[in-house]
Amino acid sequence: MNRFTRHSQTVVLAVFALYALAPVYLVLLASMRSEADLFNGPLSLPWPIETANYLRVWTESGFSTFFWNSLKISVAVTVLVLLTAPLAGYAFAKMQFRGREALFALFLAGLVVPAPSVIVALYGNLQALGLIDTHIGVILPQAALLMPFSVFMMRTVMQEVPDELIEASTMDGASPLYGFLTVVVPLARPGLMSLTLIVFLFSWQEYLLPLVVLQTETLKTITVGAASLQGRYGVDYGGIAAAGLIAFAPLVVLFLAMQRSFVRGLSAGAVK
Amino acid sequence: MSSRPAYLFLLPALLLYGAFVVLPILQVTAYSFFSWDNGIAQDFVGLDNYARLGSDGVFWAALGHNAIWVVLTLAFPLLAGLLLAAILAERSPRTIQMMSAIYFLPRTIPLVVAGIIWGWIYNPLFGLLNYSLDMLGLGNLAGAWLAEEGTALVSLNVVGAWTFFGFCVVIYLGAIQSIDPSLYEAADVDGAPWWRKFRDITVPLLKNSTLFLGLYAAIEAMRFFDLIWVTTQGGPGYATEVLTTHVYKTFFLVGDYGYASVLSVVLLAIVLSLSALAFRLLRVK
Repeated sequence: MNRFTRHSQTVVLAVFALYALAPVYLVLLASMRSEADLFNGPLSLPWPIETANYLRVWTESGFSTFFWNSLKISVAVTVLVLLTAPLAGYAFAKMQFRGREALFALFLAGLVVPAPSVIVALYGNLQALGLIDTHIGVILPQAALLMPFSVFMMRTVMQEVPDELIEASTMDGASPLYGFLTVVVPLARPGLMSLTLIVFLFSWQEYLLPLVVLQTETLKTITVGAASLQGRYGVDYGGIAAAGLIAFAPLVVLFLAMQRSFVRGLSAGAVK
Repeated sequence: MSSRPAYLFLLPALLLYGAFVVLPILQVTAYSFFSWDNGIAQDFVGLDNYARLGSDGVFWAALGHNAIWVVLTLAFPLLAGLLLAAILAERSPRTIQMMSAIYFLPRTIPLVVAGIIWGWIYNPLFGLLNYSLDMLGLGNLAGAWLAEEGTALVSLNVVGAWTFFGFCVVIYLGAIQSIDPSLYEAADVDGAPWWRKFRDITVPLLKNSTLFLGLYAAIEAMRFFDLIWVTTQGGPGYATEVLTTHVYKTFFLVGDYGYASVLSVVLLAIVLSLSALAFRLLRVK
């Protein structure tokens, strides 16, 4: 390849890196900018660097509460999915039973169901169960909506576990559950790690369910909080930027720390 | 071997999924055939609610916007992802790792936050976009991007693309790395330039990834809601209305159970057909 082609390709790579990173950089700058500094242009370096925006949204606008609510809901959804999807994925990957194809097709169909398409009935059902304005009312449907993806991904992961090891464990007369926990789970650990990360990510990003289910201010999640801050204080740009950063910082840190797990998980659930 | 252990393994996942996804789908379908008063089903009216689709201009506009969204996604992030992956594949493993992390990063950001960030960039008074155009002496191109009917949908698609192109890079990279290197070596012997190897070897051999990403993009284009809701709520006018926001408004703002259910069924029918098509074409086993 000649030098010109290579250099112009490097430029293309750099332009797209700028496209990916510039908006994030811009929010970072805005979140550390004082109000007086606001009109020096969006790209000027903030000076003096302010932490006031973070302190204000964290303490006064309720973001400490929103943050813990999001954490609580996302952890609960993740635990719920981890307790259910690997078992189901294993059943589809390694066990023989009547109706296997039909049940698997039922799960596959759910892979693409958007939350807005079931909200009309779901909302009434949650009302009837007394789950409107409770965290459980967000956790259960969210775990359910993530179930097809999780089961599909776990089935792919479990197919890799060698049959001989499973047979060896059942020959000892152990129950299927005991064999699953002692033999299969340790072998499937990287896959389970990916599932954990992705379910946590999706759950933290969720907007529609917490938006319609939660009404009390102190129960709301960080995505709902950030969106309503935008409407409420139309001019507090520093505050909104700080809120946005608080809302995605945990995800970015998780992603950068475990990039491999993330990417493997997303592509495993996607293609095969 | 008996089927019992398998059913027990499946039961918890099936209960959760059945109660909060399958059951509501069946209910919404049933709701769509009834007339409603104050949230209470009255009479079975057959397809009467469906007949309203024909004269509902917002529905057709929304469907059109969903379709435009698919086309724009195929034209920009998918193509960009393909090009970037082909370029990256020839670089060192460290560069590949670092650049794909950078490209993928926006996908970890909640769409709500992405909408807020880009809402600023597009802000007509102090946004980065108009500011940059001014700096470049192109101030006459400045506009109120999200507030004008002509630019709102395309501007939002740039945000969608921002969160999606890194995923395309990752998928394409995985596929390129499994292409037999001897094909490229043979082309090098013939002295083929880069773009010809790209056109004649890379692109044709990535057909399956393109098919997968295209269908994935089409399904996502029908499903998305957050981005529109935090930025334009379907406006200005109905310029960025999509099927999901139309369902939301018909149910939560108008309180029309019957017709909101009809729209939900239509939405479900479209995504399920696309997904069935995807599984068929990609031959998922």
